[in-house]
Order: sequence, then C-alpha cells, then structure tokens
Amino acid sequence: MIYAAIIGLVVGLIAGSHYPFSIPPEYARLLAVAVMAGLDAVLGGIRASMGSNYDTMVFTSGFFINGIMASLMCYASNWIGIDLYMVAILIFGMRMFHNIGVIRRLYMGK
Amino acid sequence: MKKLITMDLQGKVLVAIVFMVLGFMLSVQYKVTEQQRSIRMDRVEDLSERLKAMETENKHLLEEINELRKNGVDNPNDPSQERLNLLAGTTEVEGAGIEIVLDDSNIPKKANENPNLYIIHDEDLLRVLNELRAAGAEAISLNDQRIVAMSEVRCAGPTVSINNVRSAPPYVIKAIGAPKTLTSAMRLRGGVVETFEFWGIQVKIKSSENLHIPAFKAHRGFEFAKSAADKEEKK
Repeated sequence: MIYAAIIGLVVGLIAGSHYPFSIPPEYARLLAVAVMAGLDAVLGGIRASMGSNYDTMVFTSGFFINGIMASLMCYASNWIGIDLYMVAILIFGMRMFHNIGVIRRLYMGK
Repeated sequence: MKKLITMDLQGKVLVAIVFMVLGFMLSVQYKVTEQQRSIRMDRVEDLSERLKAMETENKHLLEEINELRKNGVDNPNDPSQERLNLLAGTTEVEGAGIEIVLDDSNIPKKANENPNLYIIHDEDLLRVLNELRAAGAEAISLNDQRIVAMSEVRCAGPTVSINNVRSAPPYVIKAIGAPKTLTSAMRLRGGVVETFEFWGIQVKIKSSENLHIPAFKAHRGFEFAKSAADKEEKK
C-alpha cells in the first residue's frame, strides 16, 4: 500500500514536471486550493489508517470531491467578489496541522 | 498497519491514482510559482537596468549641454551670437528704457455699466506691447516674464498667462529702447494711455537709465519647425 502510494506520487511528480502547458496565474490559485484539499485528504487518510477506520472509497472520494468542490467554490465566489481562496487555504491548513498532531499522538500510542 | 497490507488490489490502484494526481498537481503548482517568481525578478532587473541606462544618458546629455553652452552661448567674442541672443531673449539685458505700471481702475463703477471695462485685460496688455514694439523697444518684459517671439499674453480667468506663468495686477512692463520715443508713443493722443485713463485704469510711466530685463526662462523645443535654409538655396 505504501509502495503504491510512493510509486503513484513519483509518477505524478514526473508527469507534472514534464507537463508542457502552463496554467494562467488566475487559475494557479484554484490549483493551489486543490493541492491543499488533496494534502488534507491524504493526511486525513493516514490518520484514519492509523486509527484503523480507513476506507479506500471514503479516502478516494474525499480526495477528488473535496479538491474539485473547493476549486469550484473558489472559482464561483470570484463572480460575487468574495475571495474564498484565502478561506479555503486557511481551513485546509488548519485541518492539516490538526491531523499532523493527531497522527503524532497515534504514532506515540497515546 | 495490518489492515493496510491486507488491502486488495483495487484499493492499491486507487491510492496510487490519488497520489499520482496529488504529485501532478504539486509539481505543476511548483512550476507555475517558479515561473511567476522568475518573471517578477526579470522585471525588477530589467527596470533597474533601464533606470541605470537612462541616468547615464541623462548625465551625458547634461555634459553635452554644458559643453555647448561653453562653446556657444557664453562666447562673448562672437558678435553674431550676441545678436541671436538678443533676438531670442535667452540672456539678461540692461539699458535705458521705460517702466510702465498698470493697475485696475480705482474710480467707483457707475450703475448699469459693464465692470469689465474697469479692469485690465490681456487685450489691453497686448496693445501696450504692440505700441512699444512699434516705437522700437528692443527688449520687453511683463511682470518679469521676458516677451519673446513665442510668448503668449492670454486671459486665464482673473489672471493673465505670460510664457505659461500666471500673473495678476499690477502689471509691470519694462521696455528697453529710447525712453523719450517710448514714452511719447504711450502718450499719443487717442493712444493707449488716454484710453486707459478714461476708464480710470492707473498708468504710471517712469523712464530709467538702467533697466534690467530677465532672460526667457522657459525651455521651448522645436518639434515641428525645421530649418529650410537648404531648400531655399536650391531654388
């Protein structure tokens, strides 16, 4: 499982670095939101697997749907002049740090 | 961890796909950020380089101006240069002449009369200037603005604009020329001063042996006019 994750990550990184198209700056922030959502989902998945209530479907759907929804909402909020981008980054960041804390505690068995 | 190892193949593939997408997004995001940073840095470098180039160019041009000034304008031995300077009004001049002080009317305005008649307008000043020129004035200034070939005397609200500088009454006109000729030209019967006095506009004329008239200060480039001396010769 861990090997699958590492292989996937490496393949993705290589594919991305050879990706010939550039993303315009106004969409780069949407991608940033998606990246944050993805990292959040991965940390959440690790936490769940250490707490032994991991489910592949929950993890996969969470990863894709969270990322897509967050990006879409940020994109749509631009129409009404709200910078939801900041909020999304903030919330995902907070959740990531929280998850890291929980993982640390689980790892130490406390 | 046990559960992770016993996961079926489908789970592994899904996780691999998830991480692949994550890695892809991460590296694309990294590339975009890097690009933006390099663009910004390029711009800063470009601008500072251009600034440096401009500064050196500016310095060179200033040096050139000084050089040319030394060789050209400030060469008192060249009589043609002196004449050109006097014509263009680029140097201070002094000599005998008259000084005219004009101020708005001080007599009480009658009812139903146009108040405009009691104050000095650009047209009045132009008449004075024209009369002075007709009487052979060699250099004229209006409120310390040298009147040259391209000077304007123009109404600008309550003020008058001369060489793009605004001034208000009293107007001090200095003219270098034969003092007697200039004074009598002003005081001609039916002339400028008589008209002014009719409306109570205050006119004081003082002749002086040593008047000082400043140089034309504004810089004026020639954008459209080019010397056509060569063409004339060919004809």
